[in-house]
Amino acid sequence: MRIHLTVNGTGRTWEVAPGDTLLDVLRREGFAGVKKGCGTGDCGACTVLLNGRAVNACLVLAVKAEGHTVVTIEGVAQGGRLHPVQEAFLEAGAVQCGYCTPGMVLSAVSLLSHNPDPSEAEICEAISGNLCRCTGYVKQIAAIERAAARMRESQ
Amino acid sequence: MAVHQIRSVVRPATLEEAWECRRSEPGASRFLAGGIDLVLYVPPTVSTLIDLSCLGIDAVRQEGSDVVMGAMATLTEVLESPLVGEFAGGFLRDVLRRVASPLQRNVATLGGAVVRAHPWSDVIPALLVLDAQLDVFDGRRSTVELSEVRARSESPSPLVLTVRLPGASCDGRGAFEKFARTGFDVGVLNCACFAIIERGLCRTARVAVGGTPSVARRLPRVEETLVGKPLSASQIALAAQTAAGVVDVRDDRRATAEYRRVLTAVGVRRCLENLAGLGSEVKE
Ligand SMILES: Cc1cc2nc3c(=O)[nH]c(=O)nc-3n(C[C@H](O)[C@H](O)[C@H](O)COP(=O)(O)OP(=O)(O)OC[C@H]3O[C@@H](n4cnc5c(N)ncnc54)[C@H](O)[C@@H]3O)c2cc1C
Ligand code: FES
Ligand code: FES
Repeated sequence: MRIHLTVNGTGRTWEVAPGDTLLDVLRREGFAGVKKGCGTGDCGACTVLLNGRAVNACLVLAVKAEGHTVVTIEGVAQGGRLHPVQEAFLEAGAVQCGYCTPGMVLSAVSLLSHNPDPSEAEICEAISGNLCRCTGYVKQIAAIERAAARMRESQ
Repeated sequence: MAVHQIRSVVRPATLEEAWECRRSEPGASRFLAGGIDLVLYVPPTVSTLIDLSCLGIDAVRQEGSDVVMGAMATLTEVLESPLVGEFAGGFLRDVLRRVASPLQRNVATLGGAVVRAHPWSDVIPALLVLDAQLDVFDGRRSTVELSEVRARSESPSPLVLTVRLPGASCDGRGAFEKFARTGFDVGVLNCACFAIIERGLCRTARVAVGGTPSVARRLPRVEETLVGKPLSASQIALAAQTAAGVVDVRDDRRATAEYRRVLTAVGVRRCLENLAGLGSEVKE
């Protein structure tokens, strides 16, 4: 089957099998920042934005992306500048092995685009589907608070 | 992982077309909504998916005093809807916030949650106590009780168009308890209670318990103990004790029947105490 979608701002037409997941297809097409962990919706390593909302690419059939917009971690930085969430993750030391980081960052980007001033509870809720085996989540939460403050200041 | 057995995905433009596709291949086809359940649990005989995304059944709207939620609305769209936020004090919104994480809720649809009806579903007990109805299509449109669709044995089961919250439930209040190992895990048991309180007495009381480990059911014997009574400490204790006595529980790998019986009493008590704090002036 042929699908037409926009990935990181560029229109794409891909040939996919009807049962392919979005995760299978994105990785096959070279978007290796979309990680595969569990494949069952439990870890969040495969998080991408579908029409601006964070989703598990492993649970979405590629055909469901027909006509829609996908953003992967590769498309978050703009014009050679890191996104404020990425900068804040670096500054706060929120990355250890980094396997969960693309998913965490995309969940945070999705949250801040809908809620510019989230409480700590709302941040925890937003990243509740993104598991991290290395950190204790404290630095990621601090990073998202820092990014939110910076994004509000620059409005 | 790719679902290799899927050979085709069709995208009908009308209800009639969608139903015809499903009816002509009952064993080999399924309706495709968000697809998060089908990706994980597609039955081995299924090779055709019928994508419902072009049928225009995704809006949340008011119809008279009812709130009507399109089956293709995602759980996020439902919980963010101001109409749902204002219905019964935002009870359904608060329950949906406890379903999985935003990553799943941004894709999973209300129709998928209702039809899949996992034994541990949090959505089903909430809809049961709100007395939700379903507008369905099986060659013709009809409105049926939520429990009726689940009890139907014919194959294929109808296409769900909308989930309807009856205006009569709008002025009540609901409370929900989910017992799970972590916030993200599915529940070992869940419990929803709903009441309309007038002059300190329960005019309406509904109680449902799920994950027993069967899918949620109403407990009419418990409801009878509450109707016409105040939500007092002694009345709540009686309801909790009755619930523990009548609930149909079993062992499974998550919990023993005995533990579930205890959780039922705790869940019903906590929900009713919560409702008493919100709606009733009468306390002992
Ligand atoms: C990782 C994970 C965690 C979860 N956690 C929770 C939780 O904490 N609490 C909870 O309550 N639930 C939970 N769920 C269940 C989740 O809510 C349901 O799986 C989801 O709502 C299904 O919706 P869908 O749109 O993806 O359905 P689909 O996968 O598209 O469909 C599911 C089934 O319903 C049928 N169907 C779908 N729409 C219709 C329709 N309109 N008419 C007729 N048939 C239809 C399909 O044919 C299929 O058989 C979880 C699921 C996953 C994968
Ligand atoms: S790989 Fe998708 S949630 Fe783990
Ligand atoms: S940094 Fe290693 S899993 Fe999160």
